Amino acid sequence: MTLLSLLEKKWLRQAASSPAHFQSLLRRRRKGEPLQYIIGTQPFGPLNLRVRPPILIPRPETEHWAIQLADRIQNRPRRTLLDLGTGSGCISLLLTHLCPALSAHAVDVNPAAVELANENALLCSIDRFQAFQADFLHQDFPSHPSLSPPYDILVSNPPYIPLAEYLTLSDDVKKYEDPRALLGGNSGLDFYHAIARLAVRERFLSPDAIIALEVGHNQADAVSAILQSAKLRTDVWPDPWGIPRTIFAYR
Amino acid sequence: MLFFRPWIRPTLRSFSTFSARLQQQDGSRILRVVQRLIDERETTRSQISQDMSTPEDIARLRKLKESEPLQEAWDEWTEANKNLEDLKPLLSDPDPSMRSLASEEYESLDETRNNLLQNTFPSLLVPPSTTASLSALVELKSGAGGIESSLFLAELLRMYLRFATNSSFKSTIVAENENDGGGTKDAIVEIKGEGAYDAFRWESGVHRVQRVPATDSAGRVHTSTVAVIVLPLLEEKDAEKEELFSMSDVKIEVMRARGAGGQHVNKTESAVRLTHIPSGITVSMQDERSQHQNKRRAFQVLTARLMDQKITREIAERRATRNNLVKSADRSEKIRTYNYPQERVTDHRIGMSLRNLTSVMEGDALHDFISALKKDHEETQVEDMLRETEG
Repeated sequence: MTLLSLLEKKWLRQAASSPAHFQSLLRRRRKGEPLQYIIGTQPFGPLNLRVRPPILIPRPETEHWAIQLADRIQNRPRRTLLDLGTGSGCISLLLTHLCPALSAHAVDVNPAAVELANENALLCSIDRFQAFQADFLHQDFPSHPSLSPPYDILVSNPPYIPLAEYLTLSDDVKKYEDPRALLGGNSGLDFYHAIARLAVRERFLSPDAIIALEVGHNQADAVSAILQSAKLRTDVWPDPWGIPRTIFAYR
Repeated sequence: MLFFRPWIRPTLRSFSTFSARLQQQDGSRILRVVQRLIDERETTRSQISQDMSTPEDIARLRKLKESEPLQEAWDEWTEANKNLEDLKPLLSDPDPSMRSLASEEYESLDETRNNLLQNTFPSLLVPPSTTASLSALVELKSGAGGIESSLFLAELLRMYLRFATNSSFKSTIVAENENDGGGTKDAIVEIKGEGAYDAFRWESGVHRVQRVPATDSAGRVHTSTVAVIVLPLLEEKDAEKEELFSMSDVKIEVMRARGAGGQHVNKTESAVRLTHIPSGITVSMQDERSQHQNKRRAFQVLTARLMDQKITREIAERRATRNNLVKSADRSEKIRTYNYPQERVTDHRIGMSLRNLTSVMEGDALHDFISALKKDHEETQVEDMLRETEG
């Protein structure tokens, strides 16, 4: 049983179609179901995205760095972007929405995520976006027929929670959101190694490509080191709460 | 400078008693101002070049167009005066029927002149509102009276939302803190549309309610208050042009630590607080479901407060240069009383009472207050203008 804030009640009331419906939404929330899944949407920057279980709900930290990245790339000429593990599509949809010269490919291992991301693109009237199913850990990934390298921008919010920490997460995350979007192996770093391998691969990224990766609360150093060993220079961006959250890498 | 937005025009008729205050004044002051403006108009006309093509010409033509209604009224005035002169000899005509005809005509001309002097000219002298295009942010805060104040705040809020809808403005509740015991502790409403600020601005001040609260079993009349602050709201692009603040002066804080944050947690609240360091203004916003939206809203409120300060400052400066005493715009001042036992609403600034409280709270009577306050403001402006011309 969760104690609900007045704000949450207000949002649920706004989402409800009748008093009885409101009561049923309240019951679901009290049982611990994430508010965003109950309402069915989550605002992300200027976009309002559809969300549904078990696809990862966009977090405010991600919203923050995606907007920051958009500010950096907004006025560049035509660019292509690849989003690894796109989930709801939030990062690449926001970037394509804010940067008129950008077109994006987004992949996810979960077909339900691919479907949701494409649905969100349609909802937001973004046509420079295409999501498709692919596993970027797989060795054949770079030769996937739908990819069109080289890409100018690589973004990812890969699963980064180490197994031991995953087991301690609260139920609203653990019970409802896809572990495949959260679990980054024993160290939490598995996916960063895979991304670094892609980055050094011949002609997968353009020579002046930039990379932005979200990391867990204590992973900035480790992920910076992984990218530096792939001959990349790195900056660390803090999130609004002061936690090192995003590794920005470039050649 | 005598440009009238179309929506002001209909009020011309309601100037039929433009002012008891102005009536007592010498009409010659008004005439002197009008005469001066007509002279200026003539000068402008003479400056227009032959082919009417320079940028200055376009500005001049616009000025001419704006002062056309005044010229028409002036022509009518001159015409009436001339006719009056022509009529004078006939007033002493030997033929009695001719005399009586002339005297009838004289009366009618005199009426025309009076009407021009007392209504038409003053109404045309009201300077155009510099805030006519602005939308409004209306902030309501409960004051003395505890829950009763919160209950009344919720009713005022409904009254404003209805007023907005009836005036074809689009309203959105931007922030609202409900009270556990009922009612609303505070609220911010965005009222969008041209003229929204000018319509709502006179609502700023302390609103007082006198009634027996539903919660009082002894049936005693309580007095509670709600403070209303109406702020000018600019479009985002216009706000940038005003350069009200620089981003480096604004401290942005996010509320509530999130522990590990990121994928580890799913918190639903994303409150944001802005502090504008030079002015010390702080704005907190938590009603939206994303940080970006809360931040956008908070900046909107900050911009409105700074714009409000700017307008207040400009008014004060203008008045200081004029060196006259004008009634203060103190927001802690009680402006209106809603007396339920007597079914009466009184606006203390203009001494106007309406004996039908329900029509104010549930009907259209708020319009009566607002147009009376607007008229009062316009009269004050004309008086100021006359005083200024007299030096």
